[in-house]
Parts: sequence; C-alpha cells; structure tokens
Amino acid sequence: MNVNNLIARHRGTLIIPIVIANVILLANLASGDTKSWQELVWLDIAGEGGAALLALLWIVLILNSRPGGRVTRMLVAGLSGIFLSYWQDVMDEFIRLPDAIVWDHWLESGAMPVGMILLTLGIYHWHKEQQAISAQLIRRERIFREHRSLDNLTPLSGAHYLREQLKRELSRPDQPLALIMLDLHCFDHSRRLLGPSDSDRLLKELGELLLLNLRQQDLLCRYAGDRFAIVLPMTQQAEADRIACELQQAVRHFAFKTRRGESHFMTAQMGIAVAHDDDACSLIERANQRLPGATASWQAA
Amino acid sequence: MQGYLPDTAFIPAHHLPGALIDLVQDQGIDTHRLFRHTSLFPERVIQGDAVATPREFLQLIHNSRQLFPDPELPFRYGQRLLPGHYGPISALLGQAGCLRDCLVAFNDYPALISPLVGVRITLDDEYLCVQWLDSCGAGSHWPFLVESAMAGLASVSQWLSHRPLPWQFQFSYRCPPWPEQYQVHLGERLHFERCMDAMLLPRHYLDMPWPRGASTGWQAARQQCDQQIQQLGFAHSARQQLYRFLQQAITSPPTLQDVANHYGSSPATIKRRLKQQGCHYQRLLDEVRLHQAILWIQFDGMTPDQVCRRLNFSDSTNFRRAFKRWSGLTPAACHKILQALSGH
Repeated sequence: MNVNNLIARHRGTLIIPIVIANVILLANLASGDTKSWQELVWLDIAGEGGAALLALLWIVLILNSRPGGRVTRMLVAGLSGIFLSYWQDVMDEFIRLPDAIVWDHWLESGAMPVGMILLTLGIYHWHKEQQAISAQLIRRERIFREHRSLDNLTPLSGAHYLREQLKRELSRPDQPLALIMLDLHCFDHSRRLLGPSDSDRLLKELGELLLLNLRQQDLLCRYAGDRFAIVLPMTQQAEADRIACELQQAVRHFAFKTRRGESHFMTAQMGIAVAHDDDACSLIERANQRLPGATASWQAA
Repeated sequence: MQGYLPDTAFIPAHHLPGALIDLVQDQGIDTHRLFRHTSLFPERVIQGDAVATPREFLQLIHNSRQLFPDPELPFRYGQRLLPGHYGPISALLGQAGCLRDCLVAFNDYPALISPLVGVRITLDDEYLCVQWLDSCGAGSHWPFLVESAMAGLASVSQWLSHRPLPWQFQFSYRCPPWPEQYQVHLGERLHFERCMDAMLLPRHYLDMPWPRGASTGWQAARQQCDQQIQQLGFAHSARQQLYRFLQQAITSPPTLQDVANHYGSSPATIKRRLKQQGCHYQRLLDEVRLHQAILWIQFDGMTPDQVCRRLNFSDSTNFRRAFKRWSGLTPAACHKILQALSGH
C-alpha cells in the first residue's frame, strides 16, 4: 500500500472525516469534564474504540483500491458516518458532558443510520459499476476470472490462461472452436526503430484495436512477445478465415503514433487452426505452425 | 591464475546492468528495492562511475526476478542489450562486417560484453556452434543468463545482417512450463534436454557480408578493446581461463598440481579460487570432458567408443559410468539424441 500515492489521489475525501473527528474531540473537551481513572470502563472503550478503528481502516482500504469519483465518495461518506458515530461513543467514555447538551446524542444516534444509508447506496452503485466493467472485460476473460494469469505488459491474459480456457472449451467436443495466432511482421526490427517504451505501448494499443474487432464471445490473449492468440468459440473454418482477414485489415490500417508523433505502420500474419479431436497444446501448436515462417519472408522494413 | 573472480569490481554499472535497471524501471517498479544487497546506489549509477562485481550483477538479476517474476524478462533484457552503448566493444559489434567479426567480441572480450557468460565457438564443415558457459557460478540464474545471451545474439545478428538467420537453439535443461516465450522470441527451432546450451547455424552464414560493416572502424575498435583489456588485466573469468587451458589438454588431463605449476601458483590457491565460484577442479574437468564428448559426437559423428578412446579412458565401462555421472545419460543415449539433432 503506497501511502503517498493514496494521499495524493484522495486528499479531499480523506481530510473531511479527519477534520470532523478533530472538531468533535475539541467540542467534547470544551464543553465537558474528563472522567477520573476509576470511572473508565475498559471493556466499552475497547469495543467502541475497536469499532471506530475498523471503520477507519475500511475507509483507507476502499480509498486505496478505488479511483476517485462519485461511488468512492459515497462509500467513504457512509463509512465516515459510522466512524464518527463510534468516535462520539468513545469520547463519552472519557469525557462527561453536562445534561443540557444534546448534540452528542444526535451525533451518536443520527450519524449511524445516515452512514448506513449512504453506504448502502454506495455499494449498490459499486455493483452497477462492476457490471459495466465486466461487460467491457468480456472479450478479455471468458467465463472465469483469474487475476494471477494476467499479462504484465498488456491488460490481457497470458498463455497460461489461454491453455486453461482452451481446455474448458475443448471439453465440449460437439461445439466447433477455432484459434487464430496473430504475429507482427518483423517486430524485432520495429522494436529497435521505436525504442523499448514505444514498442511496449504499441503492443498495448494493438491489443485494444484487436478487441474492437472481435465478437462478444471471442477471447483475446497475449501469447508471448508480439504474438496474440484469439479463441473463437462456435466458429467454423470459413468464419475464422473471415475474422482473421478483418483483423489483418485492421492492423494494416492502424497508424501507431510514436512519442514524436510519427506514424508507424505494421502488418500482421495469421495462423488459423480449427479444432478436430485436439487438446489445447496440439491446437496451439497447429496454429503456430500455420503462421507464415517469420524467417522466410523477413526483410528490412 | 589470471582472470576475474566473482568479487572483482570492473563491470560499469550503467552498461549491461543499466539495461536491466531500465527494463525493470519501465515496469513501474521501485528502483531502491532493485539495489538491495548490492553496494550500488542509483545516484552513483546515473553519474556513470559505479562499478559492479559479477556477484552484484547476479544479485541485481536475482532482485529483478523477485520484483518482476515474468518469464519474458530474460528475453526482453537480451533483446535490449546489444549492440548497446558500451564504448569500443559496442563499436566493434556495430561495425562488424560479418558474423565472424561479431563473434570476436564474445570470444576475445567477454569481460567487456558478457561478464557472466563465457562462450566456446566450434566450427565444423557444416555448422557453427556457439556454446554458452558459466563464468562466475550463476547457480539457479543460469537459465536466465542463457536465455538473455541467446536472445541478445539472435536479435543483434538479425538486426546487423538485415536478414533472418536460422539459428537452432539447444538447451541443457528441460522446457519450462512457458514454451511460448522460447517459440516467439527465439523461433521454432528449439531442442531441450540436449546436454549443452548452444546456438547452431549453418556455417556459410559466418562470412556472409553484413551491410553495416566498416572495416577500419572495426579494427580501430578492436585496438581500443585490447587497450581496455590490458588496463583491466584480464579478458576472461578465472574459471573460463582454466576451462580453456583444460580444453587444450583434454586428451591427457593435467592434475591439479600440473595446473598450479602452469600458473605459477599453489594447488591450494587454485582450489580456493574455484570454490569462490561455486566450483571445484574435478567438476570443471568433468564439464570440459563432457562438452568435448558432446561436440565430438554431435559434429564429428564419433561413436561412444571413439570418444572413450580419445578421452583416454582405460575401458568403456569406466567411460560409461563417468559419462552417466556428468550428464545423467549413457553415452549411447546421448549419441542417439545428438545424432537425431544433427540430422535436422
């Protein structure tokens, strides 16, 4: 957990509950008298203090795992209400307020339900947001999610996930399945021309471009290096050929912009394999073999 | 015994280690953690006056792999490495007129271009074989070093020659669960569990002219490299130095005392120096004999019996037992595997 980063991102959201907690503390100290040592009830202090600390921890965890925005603010506001309610509870254990003062009761009993309502609303919108994100992710992850097999360079899954996914799909032999391997033509040359950071960015952007050209049920993975794998469920040879052709066209017309704003064009080559009594490895191997030998057609770009 | 040891500080930290530092930094990883357990500081590395020992370079590789455990790392590192901007040695690589000129850098100046991995180059009528050897006791990082060296040489030779070079890749170890990295970064001509870590190429590529070759510049760069080596006082690691000595005397292996006499040193000193590099005399001798046997079988088409006689073993049972200890295979099994390979 990077604290500096956290504070930089959520300064405004973090400050409000902390300021209010301090105001409450000062208000308590100003209007009441501290209790003597014998009057303290340690069990209550531990219980209420622990609950307040936990609520504070939740706020930090939520802020750390989320970008700023409406839903984050709602969740934090809700948790802050709960935290402040417990905070006043803890104050009560140390400071005796005169009976004439009623705001402490309002704070104790009012902040909790308001916080609960805000938190509920926040969780509801979080759920909505997650649905929208899942819809966007659908062509990057079919059926199951496994964050450990995410690729380090592109926001796609890697070869391990591809093999797992193919295993699942191939366990239903009655359904046709095609696999396309897509490889960039002389990428080694491009990498030296563009430099490491631009060529890494090229792979990321190419991934996005390929996703835009796929159907809802298809899956895109980065196999390794500049090679991408596309799983096409319920797809026969002719359909796979058509999709491969479309992808090739899309890559040809992609004018990648370098940091200096120059356009860099590239071409892709394809290896297509349709499953016939295959397992995951043999299908991948066949698609790889059908890539036009990168070496045979290599020439200076 | 001349040659550098794992604790000799001579590797400019902004050169070969610098490429690794940049690669890890590009992944958004905190550099301070990268330098753990080394005496290097980022500020000094940037100033260009920090020198690392081979052991620190290995530690840097260890830290990188811990922080960024991606099987693609050695390949991406190797592809960034060469020809680089490391002074005369980069000029030597960049102006090489053919592959033979390029390999001079690895064969004659490993201290400047590849301090952790030595090279043994073998030529027969058909093939060029570039074999990678452990210079400083890499331990569990050996596959990383092999992969980055292979990706580096394959990538730079393709870049400078402006044509595809059909390298074949031969590994001593088993294929890890990520075959895709090897396929995509090195190509389809891969052979795992084949006794040594080497790259093979049809011999006629060795002298095929490269378009960027510049003879005068190359020769001047070579002179400058020689001067640098003279200043350092060594071109090879102590272990590689001894390997080369044993390689020449392989048909009648010298004893440790003979080696000590040759270097004007005592057996105890040689033992201690080898121990610093995670090695001992008998093991190194076995390694040299195994490599020689493999090369004879693979390239000269020798049978196990002929190898047994050339290596001066008294009888074939002894040889079979020794060979099994060196490689885990019987000579006959090794012969079969390597013959299948050269039939490729």
